[in-house]
Amino acid sequence: MPAPTKTTPADAPLFDSEFLKKLEYLSLVSRRVFRGSILAQRRTRQLGGGIEFADHREYAPGDDFRYLDWNVYARHDELLLKRFQEEEDLHVYILLDCSRSMGFGTPPKFDFARQVAAALAYIALADLDRVAIVAFAGDIIADLPLTRGKARILSLLKFLEGLSSQGEVTDLGRVVSGFVHRNQRRGLAVVVSDFFDPAGYQRGLDLLRHHRYEPHLIQVYDRTEAEPKLKGELELLDVEGGGIRKVTVTERSLRQYRDIFGRFLDSVRAYGHTYGLGCTQTTTEIPFDELILKMMRTAGAVQ
Amino acid sequence: MNLTHPFALAWAALAIPIVIFYILKIRLRRVPVSTILFWEQIFEEKRPRSLWQRLRHLISLLVQIAFLLLLVLALAEPFFRWELRQARRLVLVVDNSASMNATDVAPSRLAKAKAEGKTIIDGLRFLDEVAIVSAGSEPRVYCGLTGHQRTLRTALESIQATDGPTRVKDAVALARRLLADHKNRKVVILSDGAFDDAATLAKDKDVELVSVGSRAGNVGITRLQVRRSLLDPIGYQILAEVTNSSDQEVQCRLEATLEQEIIDVVPLKLAPNGKWSQTFEKTSTEGGKLVVKLDHQDALTTDNQATALLPHREIKRVELVTDGNLFVEKVLEANPLVQLNTSKDVPKATPLGTITVLHRKVPERLPNGPVLVIEPAGSSDLWDLGEALQNPIVTKQDKDSPLMANVRLDNVLMPEARKIMPKGTVKPLAVSVEGDPLLCSFERPEGKVLVLSVNLDKGDLPLQTAFPILVANALGWFAGTKGELLEARPTGTVAELEVPAQSPSGNEKDTIALRSPDGADQPVAVNGDKATVGPLDRCGVWSLVRQPAAQASKAKLKDNEKPVLEVACNLANARESDLRAPQELKSRTSIAQAGFGGWPIWFVLIVLAWVLVTGEWVCYQRRWIS
Repeated sequence: MPAPTKTTPADAPLFDSEFLKKLEYLSLVSRRVFRGSILAQRRTRQLGGGIEFADHREYAPGDDFRYLDWNVYARHDELLLKRFQEEEDLHVYILLDCSRSMGFGTPPKFDFARQVAAALAYIALADLDRVAIVAFAGDIIADLPLTRGKARILSLLKFLEGLSSQGEVTDLGRVVSGFVHRNQRRGLAVVVSDFFDPAGYQRGLDLLRHHRYEPHLIQVYDRTEAEPKLKGELELLDVEGGGIRKVTVTERSLRQYRDIFGRFLDSVRAYGHTYGLGCTQTTTEIPFDELILKMMRTAGAVQ
Repeated sequence: MNLTHPFALAWAALAIPIVIFYILKIRLRRVPVSTILFWEQIFEEKRPRSLWQRLRHLISLLVQIAFLLLLVLALAEPFFRWELRQARRLVLVVDNSASMNATDVAPSRLAKAKAEGKTIIDGLRFLDEVAIVSAGSEPRVYCGLTGHQRTLRTALESIQATDGPTRVKDAVALARRLLADHKNRKVVILSDGAFDDAATLAKDKDVELVSVGSRAGNVGITRLQVRRSLLDPIGYQILAEVTNSSDQEVQCRLEATLEQEIIDVVPLKLAPNGKWSQTFEKTSTEGGKLVVKLDHQDALTTDNQATALLPHREIKRVELVTDGNLFVEKVLEANPLVQLNTSKDVPKATPLGTITVLHRKVPERLPNGPVLVIEPAGSSDLWDLGEALQNPIVTKQDKDSPLMANVRLDNVLMPEARKIMPKGTVKPLAVSVEGDPLLCSFERPEGKVLVLSVNLDKGDLPLQTAFPILVANALGWFAGTKGELLEARPTGTVAELEVPAQSPSGNEKDTIALRSPDGADQPVAVNGDKATVGPLDRCGVWSLVRQPAAQASKAKLKDNEKPVLEVACNLANARESDLRAPQELKSRTSIAQAGFGGWPIWFVLIVLAWVLVTGEWVCYQRRWIS
């Protein structure tokens, strides 16, 4: 098993003051542009003892008389029961891929993924939602339990900074099956990963859906992964599994590779589209804040 | 199969390092990637079966070893025994005579013959040897025996067309000398067959005749001869002969011009295989280029024109010293080339170029310049005068001397003559029975001297035609080669020409060059005042030019230089004008089909090795082998 790799250089802190400023800006923008669309202050679908009126329904024996609409009864001689929407906090779970494949790229995909995770977490905390971070590779590696309040952002960032790309081969299925069996409320599950899962990323996401989480996919990849600049007789070393493959890379095989990789990206996108999940695919070339703004715009347009 | 260099097989040891390097695995460059999932998908699709994979490696090794072995074998130069036994020795006799310039086969018969020769060269086998000999005006070896095809092709291409006569027989004799007694020898004649004995020669066992050309008809000028008129000192008689070498009647026109001035135009109607000839008369002191042209389109153009050169005749000043003799005076006056001045006394000094004729008057010392002494009355520095000779009869006369041309003195009545006793060297031209010279010449540094000791008043010499002819000959002899008529030569002749000794620039190092009608110069060896030139193998006017020794002045004078001497050259050969090959002549081309490309085994091995490498490269590129 290869040693864990620290992907952030010691002299360049991942979350500096500039980063925090950007977070604040994003948080402000999110209130104005996409308030309640993805994250915070979303209303649950549960109806019950809330304050805000939602609907009427026929009275059935055994219903609480206190909720009968007497005004309607007086006017129309009809027994209707008033229903109210129950408001509650949104639970946001950020599943962050910490496998070794995330340490690949310049800058490393893992750094980018952590920045995106931090940004989303900050926006959620600012909107008074609860946020939990689950770092995974072959299994769940580290956990930041549900936390609430903007004040918790520093400890969240500290947690993220403490992570490194490590662990075994990505196994999303195993990770999610461990995650969903926890006794916790359902909510939004943002999966930040490259989805390079030998067993297939679909199983894990299916599990999330089946357990009534709302998965949102953020796929991060490096430009050199999409268009590798390799040629000739090579020994390819899989940084994640440690496997070695001797290949002769020709123009033809490069074309084939680009084709296969493109098909893989398409399959992830198609999966999200099929199940109505949010799906964002990005290279590490664009700044994280731009990605967040892009996500917001996409969500706003949908709304 | 034998090997020329068996030791070269030692290079096969190179197979050992090849195998060693093959066994040793080469460490590949290791490149980390985030996942090999996608790469595996690519190579998963065509993952070969393990047996094929093992074979793949083996094939690659075998190909490399085969490549090495082919090269090693090529270095050892293998050959078959039958190659040694069946090696041929050929001589290509290429006819480049005038008839080969005929264009009845495009572009010309010679080009066709060369193409045939090239086919034979291309079809040579390894160890075959070929020589190339031309059979034009002078048989010449263009390339000695060799098997190198490129050299042979170059030599074949370098054969120039000539207007000379065919000398196939001589060329075949030369070829046979080259072939010696080789077992598989063959003389291959590439000719149109338009030469004598073609059919007989083609039947010889060691001869193959590859015939080019058709039985094309042709009309040509087969003779153009010019001579001085016997009656007129400045007159010429021009004989032209035209031959129709075809099986059909031909109508054409003959035009004779002197310096582009028409002398005569004769319409001709020539019967099949017929001949026509006519003599034209023309007088001219200026001379120039006499061209006879035949207005007829046929396959051979060379014989449709013939040239002769008429010399420029200079007027000679003659100083006659006599007390009066009508015959001598009249014979000189009648000559249009003579400017006569008569005096009674011997002049003390004569201008340069003046011919002095002394009749009876002889000074003690003869004047400078050419002198003709008739009937000397006294002795001089060259002779002593003896007693009178009564009724001398000429019994011996120098026929070769130009002075005696067309002169016969043996039947001339000469009652009296004076005996001449020469003091120095004398050349007797007409000698009496007693051995006394009646006509003799002296050569001295101051000028030539001719002495006629016959008494003109007694006898009938002045009444005979021999006398004016003798005087005219004497005047011509005094003038030297200047103004002499040089007859036109047939092509292929080697001519001996007289060259004026004095160089105009006075530089003795100047060389004489022979300039062909094409303008190409070639140096000529001059022996004394004679230069042997030839063979003159192009029709037209050949000239001898004096070339300055210094290279710089040579270029300067190139355009302005005047030829020292010019001589016309014509085909004038009825056999060459007849383009028809004998009907019984059959071309045999078995030689051309005998070869296998002439590639030695080593060359085939190299080609195989090259094909192998190319194949391996293609297979490697397509990943069929590794």
